[in-house]
Amino acid sequence: MTRVLVPVAVLEGETVSPGLMKLLGTVDVTVLGYHVLPDQTPPDQARLQYEDRATDALEDLTEEFRMAGGAADHRLVFTHDREQSIDRIANEIEARALAISGVTGDVEQLLVPLSGDVAVERILPFVEDLVGDRDIGVTLFLATKKEEANTERLDTAAEDLRSSGIRVRTTAVVGSSPFAALIDEVPGHDVIVMGERAPSFRSLVFGEESERVAAESVGPVLVVRYDEGPDE
Amino acid sequence: MSTEPSGTNIEGEAPISETVVETDDATITDDAELERTLGLVGGLAIGIGTMIGAGIFVFPGLAGAEVGTAATASFVVSGVVALLVALPTSELATAMPKSGGGYYFISRGLGTLAGTVVGLSLWLGLVFATAFYLVGLGFYALDALALVGITIETSPGGIVSVLAVVFGIGFTMLNLTGTENVAKLQNGIVALLLSMLVAFLAFGVFDVLGVVGAEASGGTEADRWAALPILSTAALVFTSYLGFAQVATVAGEIKRPGRNLPLAMIGSVLIVTIMYVLTIFIATSVFDRTQLGAFGETAMVEIGRELLGLGGALVIVVGGLLATMSSANASILSTSRAIYGVSKDAILPRWASRINLRFGTPHVALGMAGGPVIVLAATREVQLLAEVASFLHLIMYGLICVALVAIRRDEPEWYDPEFRVPGGPIISVVGAVASFALIAFMDPASILVGALVILATTGWYFYYARDVTLRGAL
Repeated sequence: MTRVLVPVAVLEGETVSPGLMKLLGTVDVTVLGYHVLPDQTPPDQARLQYEDRATDALEDLTEEFRMAGGAADHRLVFTHDREQSIDRIANEIEARALAISGVTGDVEQLLVPLSGDVAVERILPFVEDLVGDRDIGVTLFLATKKEEANTERLDTAAEDLRSSGIRVRTTAVVGSSPFAALIDEVPGHDVIVMGERAPSFRSLVFGEESERVAAESVGPVLVVRYDEGPDE
Repeated sequence: MSTEPSGTNIEGEAPISETVVETDDATITDDAELERTLGLVGGLAIGIGTMIGAGIFVFPGLAGAEVGTAATASFVVSGVVALLVALPTSELATAMPKSGGGYYFISRGLGTLAGTVVGLSLWLGLVFATAFYLVGLGFYALDALALVGITIETSPGGIVSVLAVVFGIGFTMLNLTGTENVAKLQNGIVALLLSMLVAFLAFGVFDVLGVVGAEASGGTEADRWAALPILSTAALVFTSYLGFAQVATVAGEIKRPGRNLPLAMIGSVLIVTIMYVLTIFIATSVFDRTQLGAFGETAMVEIGRELLGLGGALVIVVGGLLATMSSANASILSTSRAIYGVSKDAILPRWASRINLRFGTPHVALGMAGGPVIVLAATREVQLLAEVASFLHLIMYGLICVALVAIRRDEPEWYDPEFRVPGGPIISVVGAVASFALIAFMDPASILVGALVILATTGWYFYYARDVTLRGAL
């Protein structure tokens, strides 16, 4: 079964937009309520004080996800390191994607960038499961630096999705910055589904690409995980 | 023995307990998970970072002034005692990887009275230790001012007090309001310090061994190779070995505790022992007792100047500032764990471990640490502060060893440490005897202050928490 992890800074009042909840109705969801503490504070101490409030909020959110259609459960973690906790739980539940929540209404069109070194063979099946038999269109997007770069990858992928009955559009752009090109493409789309990259020097300096996309595009981003952990 | 703590304190609060599952990455309770975020490097950074501030930058002058080159033996004696305690502490910490460290083991192994005494003296011991680091920091700041050309003619001592108090207030505020990653900063500072020191020590040893052949610059005839002065100096410098217990206070946040806790505690003691012995050897070879005595707390700066000129002095001043800062900061971090540990068990009021809504920091506990620290730092009594800190820690160390013997003799069902001290109870017994014995060599004034603290904590137990039962509970 396809499972998506939705991390939420639960005690800071972060919630999930109704559009994203509805979109995730076709998959199973684990809501990860997290609370990041400064090093001066032992996590257990924060738990004693905040656990009840956090659990209440998480139960409400989980219930909303259930109403939207999929099976849903929740985890609550107190941590000094947000990334470490998200990675650990994503591995434990074998999540196929993470959701970075953002603002959106009803989802009609997904933007799926295939630029660069991403695992297309993981992204496409996830998009298929996510869309299901709903009337949600997909834009496959490829940005290349060179004019003559082939768009074969784009066409095969489009064919793949069409065969399972999904409405597909393709866009190929030539430009010096794939990132800027992707952001330019965002208007007209509600949610971005992208592949996780292996950690690189760039991601150390500028932060995860998906985080930057989420920050720039305002809307939610679903990140298809690079590695699902030990033997799938 | 029951596995549940029971009873209530004078305000009717009961110890909080529940069944938890410990994994390598997290502690899993009924409804929530507590991430373990400190690796081996983080653990070592807390241990080493707490210790080297005192042992390398403050004590060489003071210890060298007492016994000359024989101070190397004092540091070895202290290091051996620390190691004897680090082993049992490791075993207990792997069995009970929880916040609070020594307090937790002793309250479970020996009961609430011993637990209360240790829990409160761990807090107060850390307060004395932090004040001591701050005074050291004040002396280094004074030297730093002198290096950039600002010399204080009238009452330099007063300036040290003022600086120590200012730094104390600064650290407390930083910890109250800071949400930055203090631990990551600590790792960086410790890595920088270690590389500076290794280079400095390598050069120093080389230089001193060459010098010894040609002309002995420090008068060796003044060295006091006699048991009593060596042991009383060992009791004084024991403050340089308090850091490994701080690793135990954050045991609840260490990843793979079964492996990393023993490695971090025993490893940090071994590393600093070697560095201390080298440092004091260099220090006492470069200068003799009277010279070291005249230089006092910042004798290392003069040693740096003697070996490497102005650059050497500069390196030591910067190192001293960083090291005493990281010692003070790491101690404040573990103080909040210590207070949390006792407050969770209803030995202090529950409000002592409240968390500030705005910053997410334990403001009451930090205030209970920072307030007395500032007052004590103003006294500028380096030796007294150091010895009282050692006294209170040594009581805890001795009792940790006793607790291990008690728990092993009567092993509860849940007791399943991943690390076991080799050789049965012998190491623990020797560790306990050595810890208590070291106290006997301290200055009478320090023993008096320490004893008063112990008496006060005992009184607190009978007044506040005599009905709480913790023995044998997990």
